[in-house]
This record gives sequence, C-alpha cells and structure tokens, in this order.
Amino acid sequence: MFGYLGKRALHSVVSVLGLLVLVFFLTRLTGDPSYLFLPLDATPQAREAFSTLHGFDQPLHIQFFNYLGDLLHLDFGESLRQNRSAMEVALEAFPQTLKLAVLAIFLAGALALVVGSLAAAKPGSLFDRFASLVSLAGASAPDFWIAIVGILVFAVSLDLLPTSGTGSAAHWIMPIGVLMLRPFGLLVQVVRGTMIGALSSPYVKTARAKGVRRQKIIFSHALRNSLLPVITVAGDLATSLVNGAVVVESVFGWPGIGKLMIDAIIQRDFAVVQSTVLVTACAIFILNIAIDLLYAVLDPRIRYQTS
Amino acid sequence: MRNNGAFSTIALAALLASTALPALAQGGGKAITIVLPEQPSNLEPCGSILTDVGQVLSQNITEPLTVINPKDGTPQPKLATKWERVNDTTWRFHLRDGVKFQDGKEFNAEAVAFTLKRMTGGAFTCNNLAKFGSAKLTVTPVDRLTVDIKTEKPEPILPALLSVAMMVSPATPTDKAVNDPVGTGPYKLNTFTPQTVVLDRFDGYWGKTPEIGKATYVWRGESSLRAAMVQTGEAQLTPAIAIQDATNPETDFSYLNSETTAIRIDTEQPPLNDVRVRKALNLAIDWQGMAELFGADVLRASQMVVPGINGHNPDLKPWGYDPDQAAKLLAEAKADGVPVGTAIKLIGRNGIYPNGNEALEAMMTMWEAVGFDIDLQMLDVADWTRYLQKPFPQERGPNLLQIMHDNNKGDAAFTVPIFYQSSGQYATFSDPKVDTLIGEALNATDTARTKAFQEILAEVHDRIAVDIPMFHMIGYTRVGKELDWRPNLTTNSEIPLAEIRLRK
Repeated sequence: MFGYLGKRALHSVVSVLGLLVLVFFLTRLTGDPSYLFLPLDATPQAREAFSTLHGFDQPLHIQFFNYLGDLLHLDFGESLRQNRSAMEVALEAFPQTLKLAVLAIFLAGALALVVGSLAAAKPGSLFDRFASLVSLAGASAPDFWIAIVGILVFAVSLDLLPTSGTGSAAHWIMPIGVLMLRPFGLLVQVVRGTMIGALSSPYVKTARAKGVRRQKIIFSHALRNSLLPVITVAGDLATSLVNGAVVVESVFGWPGIGKLMIDAIIQRDFAVVQSTVLVTACAIFILNIAIDLLYAVLDPRIRYQTS
Repeated sequence: MRNNGAFSTIALAALLASTALPALAQGGGKAITIVLPEQPSNLEPCGSILTDVGQVLSQNITEPLTVINPKDGTPQPKLATKWERVNDTTWRFHLRDGVKFQDGKEFNAEAVAFTLKRMTGGAFTCNNLAKFGSAKLTVTPVDRLTVDIKTEKPEPILPALLSVAMMVSPATPTDKAVNDPVGTGPYKLNTFTPQTVVLDRFDGYWGKTPEIGKATYVWRGESSLRAAMVQTGEAQLTPAIAIQDATNPETDFSYLNSETTAIRIDTEQPPLNDVRVRKALNLAIDWQGMAELFGADVLRASQMVVPGINGHNPDLKPWGYDPDQAAKLLAEAKADGVPVGTAIKLIGRNGIYPNGNEALEAMMTMWEAVGFDIDLQMLDVADWTRYLQKPFPQERGPNLLQIMHDNNKGDAAFTVPIFYQSSGQYATFSDPKVDTLIGEALNATDTARTKAFQEILAEVHDRIAVDIPMFHMIGYTRVGKELDWRPNLTTNSEIPLAEIRLRK
C-alpha cells in the first residue's frame, strides 16, 4: 500500500511540474500584462518601465529559468495587482472553496444515496418519477440563474437569508444549496441506475427469499455494492468543485480560488495564475489518491500493488 | 398568547430596523456598508486613478494638494490653500497648516517632496503618473509650508495634475507599493482582507468631522445583487448598477460619469481619408434610436470632452441623422474616384460598455444601408489595444474602432493631445494646423486656454470630421433612503465619505 502511495505521489509530482511548465508558457501567450495593468493612456516609456521592473522584457527562456530558480526557493512570485505574495493570495482563497466544496459534495452525496435508493426500490412509482424530475432539473438548471432567483426569493422577498458574503451560518445556506444542486441531480441518477441493477441481482433475490428486511436489503446489501460507480462520479464532481465554484463564488461574493483564478487570468496576473493552478492541482492529486484508497476500502477485491 | 404575538411583532420590527438602518460605529458616528463592483486590487495611493482603488482611497484615506471641481473642472484647494506661477516652469504651492497624517507625522513641504519623489522613483509601478505624461517634476521645499515644483517644460495645468498625487506619510516605504496607506484624510484604514476593507473615522482630521463613523466596503460582481443588497439594507450605497436594475426613482440616481463613447476613424486608410466619407459615416446613424440602447438620460456627444471639463465646446452641435445626405456624400466621393466600396473593418471590444455589441451591430446595419461595406469584428482587450495605440498594426486596412474615453481631471489636455496631435498615442491623422493649435492650447492659461481647446474641438469636428462621437455616458447609483448623497462626474474615481450625510 505504501509503495503504491509513493508511486502515485511521484507521478503526481511529475504531473504538477509538467503542468506548471505548461501554465507558464500558456500565460505568456496571452500577451503583455502592461496593457491591462497600466491605464490605457500610459506612455510607451511607462510600459517599458513596467516590463523592465517585472522582468517581462527578458527573453522567454530567461524568464522561465528565473521562474524555475525562484520555485526552488519556494518563491512563487508577487501578485502584480495585490502587491503581495501570490502563494499567500492563493492559500488564503483555497480553504474558502474547499470548505464549500466538501460540504456541498457530502450533502449532495448523502441526499442522493437516500433518494436514489428509494427511487430504485420501486422503479416507475410516483416517488421515482418525482425524484427523476427533481434530479434532472437540478442537474440541468443553470446555477447562475438558480443563484439569482434564490437571492430574489430568499433574501429580497422573504428576507430570510443574507444576499451574499460570508460571516454567519446563514451565509452558507444559499451558496451550498446552489452548489450541491447539480451534483445531487447527477448522483441521484447514478445511484438509481446502479441500485436498479443491484436490486435485481441473485444475491438480493436470495436475501429476499431468506426473509431479510427490505430496508436492510436496500441500504446494507445492494447499496454497498452500488457505491463504486457513485464514488467515481462523486470524485469527478468533487474535483470540479475543488477546482473552483466560479459561478457561485462570483454571484455570492465568496472569496474562493475559482473566481481568483479567473480574475487572475483575465488580468494577466501571471504569478497568481501559477500559484492557484499549483494549489488546486495538488488538491486534486490528493483527492484522486483518496478516491483510489476508498475503492479498496469499499471493495475487498481491490488491492493496490507497486509492481 | 396575545402578548407573545405582540412581542414577536416588536422583535421582528426591531430586527428589520436594525438591518435597514446604518449601525452605530465604535468611537461615534454611523457605520455604513458600501458595495463595490469589484475588489480593490490593492490600496496603493499611487494607483488611485484606478476606479477600484480610488473609490476607497481618494478623499477618504489620502488627499491631494488640489481637487477638481466637478461643475467647471477648475482645481480647488485641498492640502494646498493657494498657488501661483513663479515663472513658466515653476509653480509655488502654499500648504495647509495644522494637518497631520494618520500616523501622527506632520504634513509639510518635506512630505510633499517625499510623496512626489516616491511617485516618480520608479521602484514600483505608479499608475497615477500616466496623467503626468512625460512631465518631470523637481520639488524644492521653500519653507515649512511652501513648496516649489518645477517642470522641464511649461505646465500650465500643474495644479490640476496634482489632483492625482495623493500625499502619503513620510514613513511610507519608497521601494514598494503598499496595502496599508497612511494619508491625511478623514478616515484611516482599519482592515483590508479578501472580503472587506474597513475605514474608521480619523479623530485628528484637520477638517470638519464627518457624520459617517465607519465604512465597510464589500464587493459583488453582479449588478442585480448589489442593487438587492441596498434594497434589503445589507448595504447603504452602491456606485454602479446596470440600467435595468435602476428601477426605483427614490433610491436610484443617474449621473454623467465622464465617459464618452465614440468610433475612431482610421483617417490614414482609403476610403476613410476622404472627409466626405467620414461625414457620411456620422450622418448615417439614427442617433435617437441608438440612445435607447444606453438609457433615457444619456447625452448625445459632439466631442470627446464632457460638459464640466475645461475646453468643452458648448456650441458644437452633434451630427444629425440624414441618410440621404450620407448617401449623396458617398456618391460624390465615388464619382471622384474614392474607393467607397472597400470593405471597412468595424472593430469592437467585448464588454467595453453595456450593449456595446448591440450598438455596433445597429451601426453596421445603418452604414450598410447607405452604401458602406462593413465587416464587424469583436476582439478582446489585448487584441483591441493593438489597434488603439501606436504603433498600429501594418496590415490593419481601413478600420473603425469602438472606443470609450474617460476624462474627469478637469482639463481637455487629458484628451485632446492623445487623440488629435500628430504624435498622440491614439491619433490616426496629422494636421499641421491642429498641431499648432494644440501646442498653443497646452501653453495657454485661463480663458485663452478654454477658447483654444474649444477651437480645436470645433476644427476636428466641423472641418476634419475625424471621429464619430456617440454619447456622454450615464452611470447609475443606488443610495439607501437613510443617506443624503448624490453622485457626480467624479464618482467613478472617488466616493468621499465625508460628503455623505444621514437623513434626519
């Protein structure tokens, strides 16, 4: 197991380094940051001074070697806009997204397991049809629209929740509600589909013949065997949430890493782009390893070997 | 049971009242929340010309020597009480006595010298220097409260230029930009986090004590959300909402925001080098119909300088809508061999202003209706900037460029040279007469200066028809009912908290 983990970690380090090289050159392709950082009427001399100050006047390969040298000293550069360490900016934003993503994916997963299992227990029933309708609507409704409507209804009309921001427990309700809607919708469909297959398996028929209670058959026998594809999809959804819940962060003024990354790309704040990519890439690699380990826990047939 | 109901009603009313009214700040005065469209990227006083920075810093934490009167564009005293021109290249400023920085240090001639040296030192990027162009400043303290500022070339509008030089404490680092500014303003920085900026009233302020004791700035990108925050009482003011969100006449106020939209004509490229073609472009647009895209309060523009800025020419009449005349001018040009059928690129910038794409599509249709061949291309800001500034792309061909220009700095000198002087960064034409007039205007003072700029604007409009001015743009703010404050020409760059009053 430890050998496997070591091998995965090594692969991850190589992948992260490759990603950083790619991001370095891709960001430079977007153009000269002075056009976005300085006022439009800045003189050519001012643009030249800006480029010299930040090393953008150097040939690209020199910039790259300087960047690698700085990386070795764990210096990730300074944000052009925020006048402070780019890594500090990224690490400040990441926990905000992580907390939101973890809560949203756990709540969506737990709810989907219950609703999907119950829907699969009686396919074609009224509950099943209602669950399918809600889950499909949740999976396909644009979260931007849901967020705005949520604000108008719950904050403006009913005055029950704050419109946006952070601070109290009430501030979490709408962002999490909106963020979990799509994962919930998709996971209900996955749970329902795999559970229908599991519930028609011979071992379930045997359990029924032996007089095992219905709830135990559904939640203890069938559900555990249906979890692997659910974990795969949930892991994929969690990855996209950790990568930044851009829309939710933008609409609700949530200071997360998704919006930070998009803003940094638009503003050509290269050091922040590189730092946010590094932080999210590391998080995603850790998440993937955790999902692999979870497979082994759920299915005793799965064993990881180093060879 | 009845008592419980009554209690609940009172409690609910109290809760609603507490959210709808500004709270009391520690240390006295009311606390308000202002919701901005974007996060201040930093709090460096040298970047105060940027909207996101200026709306928090300018006139609140930091103050300049002079401020621009939004009604007539003239510089007014702030930290300098008066000034005079010693000779062509030297101005003398007399400083306000009894002013302290928020860290307790004295504001004096040395502090002015320190600030201007820090601005021009080159150790970090100072955006505000863009307003000075190539002007080089030498600052010499004469005595404790008098300072001489010398420029290499005559600079008749130096007092106006200094409205962007925010005075900072001599303890401010000179080798890097800062996020913890210390100035002389009525408010001092409490905290700056990724979620809020909080300013507290500065008890040692030299001027009148403001009514607002504490201001918390938050930021939300969505206009409808910002409007909703003021409506629900979560915030008391938001400086920029979209026209479709400005639905409540009691709280939503429009203001001329110092931005002018226009289409720049590349006059070096045939057929756009023919004045009849350029006039036809102006006459072919149904301006009344176009105005509907930007709101009822928008002001049709005849020039790139807004009313209230020195040099604006009130006698200039915008081009009218006369498609027949446009077609006739085109036919005349064609008869003289001008290649009017050449495809002309209409270059727009994504997101330059609300309904910007729709405006270009409408204009393209109207131009094609009178005989032009227009090819619309929408670019992102980086690509678009290549066409805006010299050196222009060699292969650009005949083109029309969608632009928006902002000048709230009091003088047409911040507009005219860059657009209309041969050496101007955005200029697509060279006219010796206009160059001479601009040279004279830049060296003139008082009424002569105003008239000189007015003459230039008339020249480029009437004789050369060098561009297609569209509209002086309007912004909308939502102000909570509990506040007494109205936006003006400077709101895009500053929101002075000291000017905000509470309704009794």
